[in-house]
Amino acid sequence: MRTPQLADRVGAASGGLDDVIEVGGLRQRYGDFEAVRGISFTVPRGEVFALLGTNGAGKTTTMEVLEGFRPATDGTVRVLGLDPVRQQRELRPRVGIMLQEGGFLGDLTVAETVDLWKGLSEDAGRPVTLSGGAELPGRLTLMGRVRGVDRATMGALELVGLESKARVKVKQLSGGQKRRLDLALAVLSAPEVLFLDEPTTGMDPEARRTTWKVIEDLRDAGTSVLLTTHYLEEAERLATRLAIMHEGRIHTHGTVEEVVAASGDRIAFRLPGTSWTFGDLPVLDGVAPVLTYAGGGDGTAARPAAGSPAAPSTAPFTEVVYTLTGADTETRAHAALRPLMAWADGRGAALERLAVRRGTLEDVFMRVVGEQR
Amino acid sequence: MKTDVLHAVRLARLDLTLVARNTTVLFNVLLLPLLMAWMFTGAQGGAEVAGVPGGAFVLTGVPGLMLGFAVFINLVNSFTARREELVLKRLRGGQPSALAVMAGSGLGALALLLGQMALLGIWLHRTEGVLPANVPLILLAAVLGVIVFALLAAAFSGLTPNAEMAQITVLPVLMVMLLGAPIAFPLDVLPGPLGTVSGLLPVTPVVEMMRTGFLGADHFSSGGEALSTAGQWVAALPSIGIMAVWIGVTGLLARWLFRWEPRHG
Repeated sequence: MRTPQLADRVGAASGGLDDVIEVGGLRQRYGDFEAVRGISFTVPRGEVFALLGTNGAGKTTTMEVLEGFRPATDGTVRVLGLDPVRQQRELRPRVGIMLQEGGFLGDLTVAETVDLWKGLSEDAGRPVTLSGGAELPGRLTLMGRVRGVDRATMGALELVGLESKARVKVKQLSGGQKRRLDLALAVLSAPEVLFLDEPTTGMDPEARRTTWKVIEDLRDAGTSVLLTTHYLEEAERLATRLAIMHEGRIHTHGTVEEVVAASGDRIAFRLPGTSWTFGDLPVLDGVAPVLTYAGGGDGTAARPAAGSPAAPSTAPFTEVVYTLTGADTETRAHAALRPLMAWADGRGAALERLAVRRGTLEDVFMRVVGEQR
Repeated sequence: MKTDVLHAVRLARLDLTLVARNTTVLFNVLLLPLLMAWMFTGAQGGAEVAGVPGGAFVLTGVPGLMLGFAVFINLVNSFTARREELVLKRLRGGQPSALAVMAGSGLGALALLLGQMALLGIWLHRTEGVLPANVPLILLAAVLGVIVFALLAAAFSGLTPNAEMAQITVLPVLMVMLLGAPIAFPLDVLPGPLGTVSGLLPVTPVVEMMRTGFLGADHFSSGGEALSTAGQWVAALPSIGIMAVWIGVTGLLARWLFRWEPRHG
């Protein structure tokens, strides 16, 4: 796990541009189907920007337009100030791409694959100077001479933890190992902009952490990253900014802090019995609670909330949830608890299973996706 | 431009490595045309064809077969398989330009063809005592043939949904190449109009240039009279013209039909 050489190169290559990726009013149509319906965002230099969304939200389409695989149906797209399709020649050496899947030659070994990419990069004027890997010497076998593996290639493999697989055929790698090889290829030429389409899909938790570390090191060294992912914790950990896409549109975007804060703080508890109504409960921070009735065997009052199946054997109760969205994101939960406690004391009611938590990215995500369904 | 050349050479070397590792391709692409050459020479016996011994006639026509196997079939297979496995997409998303990727495949196929032709040259020398009379003409024919059939392969790969289907989609072209070109028999065996049509197909000019280049005699018409080097070039001009037109036609077809990515669902 070391990237000092990578870091120096990226830093030196940085120009003066502030926004490395600019997308304005992008639309992308396939026949009658509009996969992307007018989205805009910018990625400043040295930031990780995460595109979140369900399958079919338009994330990969957006990526592929930015990568220059197809021209935009409408809107403007710039990467490093260049048009990804028309100025592909200038852009290509400065960009690293990790596709969502596939694209390897199964008959090549892992080291040969890296060698090929390294050679192509050198031909394009971006020599790979990763070092650190211990050279693998060539050796003689029954089938002929096996070529040695040089330091730069081993360095790239070490970066993603594949050094023990150097001489394994690519077709014999697992899905997660292929993703790691893919990452090694994408970062090989010290790109200024990195496109990562679901980089950790299929990886085991350890490999995922390794990958995150690689991305963090690159980010800290000044590489700008556009990332799509299904894993919310991945976005929370890596991204400075994120956007949640759904059905071709961006529904929420901002810094991770902003997006999470906007989802509100939650106060949740249970009250025994099912006779509680809105009128009984206090308004906190200008918000009325959401009541869900559950439990009890009589069937009359049992209305289990979606996603929280109540065990039929428990006594009937009322689930109360406040979602606080006041402007003071730091103290709103604290401020709301005092009147709530006063109300409980006054009623002589016990707040069972009282929980106070900050909103999560998952809350925001589920709301965006849920609103549309 | 320099980058494209470097990329194309690197990708051509990659292609040769992969061919060497694939027994099926090695057999189909490299061995089969040589086997067929051996069968055809056996069938011709010692009879003279168009003023030359049957063996020499067939062996100088076999490069036409090799264009079908080492270039056309090989490239339809490799373009289709690589498209479906997203290799083409990955290459295009990497450093090489579209032009370099195509040129790399063409260059690899040219190397295969020239390698086979070198074997053929040795064979021809050993059995018929023939040394190639006009090597530049032979090389030009090989280059023109590879360009046309590589472009045609790119176009046909666009019509081929997967690598298994490639065995079938190449058949029509292969049949025409086998039957409609003067590989084992001269064109005038074909009845009138068919002969004219065959002369306009892209494989016939290549075979005629090759045969003339090897034997130093006029094999553009059925005469077979000896020609000076300058005479050989002049006689080759119509063939070069036909190939130039085919480069245009197959180039347009490739542009229209070739696909870098699998079709979406």
